[in-house]
Amino acid sequence: MENSAFHSQRKWNIGFILFLTLLLALLSQISIRLTLILTLGISIGFVLQKSRFCLVSALRDPILIGMTQLTRAFLLLLGISILGFALVSWGAVQRNIPLSLNVFPLGVHTIVGGLLFGIGMVLAGGCTTGILIRIGEGFAMQLVAFFGLVVGAVLGERSVINWRNAFGEWPGIFLPDIFGWVPTLILEIAILSALWQLAKWWQKKQLGE
Amino acid sequence: MTRFAIEIWGEMCPIPLIKAKKKLLSMQCGDILVLETEHSCTSRGIVVWAQANRYIIEEKEVANGIWHLELTKTHD
Repeated sequence: MENSAFHSQRKWNIGFILFLTLLLALLSQISIRLTLILTLGISIGFVLQKSRFCLVSALRDPILIGMTQLTRAFLLLLGISILGFALVSWGAVQRNIPLSLNVFPLGVHTIVGGLLFGIGMVLAGGCTTGILIRIGEGFAMQLVAFFGLVVGAVLGERSVINWRNAFGEWPGIFLPDIFGWVPTLILEIAILSALWQLAKWWQKKQLGE
Repeated sequence: MTRFAIEIWGEMCPIPLIKAKKKLLSMQCGDILVLETEHSCTSRGIVVWAQANRYIIEEKEVANGIWHLELTKTHD
């Protein structure tokens, strides 16, 4: 690593950490809640950038090059989120804390939107977080993608009511209400494990091992 | 043992990998493909793909945010 092409990043790192600490200290004087949200945001961004987690790659690579490593990582992420989500909403029910989650029933517009977003994210080379990470890393092209993302998000947010009225929605089903919490969790984890095996089998078949 | 190189500078995933796959088809066993990218995910993606395909791959970060890859075609 004694290559002269490397510029030491240490002074930038120290400067940036100092700046962030001061900013958080300043913000905590105004609102503790905002400070916590910003800290959480920075931590998530840091982990996402370091982990090189790429949702586009997870969904695209199985079809394009037959690799499912990231797909399996994504399934693991879903599994962990399901357990965490179950804990949070179970706890909320126990203590009578109302949870307002932006979860809506499936409809035709969900599928149309998913297709549009899917095509867009492969072309742009990143999903929402991916684009943000790459802007941070310094890719100018992702700025263009980010502009498109913002325009699309605003348009979608403004028109979603019309879509819902035009196509209707399937009734929302909350599985724990029907089966109870434990069977639901077992069912969901079982489905994810099956998908995991499928992904593993797919890579083996594609790469001819 | 010929050394080939393809231009993937500034390209985003998955284009570098598709180009590399195409180039590999025209190469003999033992030939080396040299790639250089400034895209972190591209570098990582190619390394993981090459390992899964049992090619020999060497990854080196030659400067801040620039990766130099050497891929040896070990089998058809």
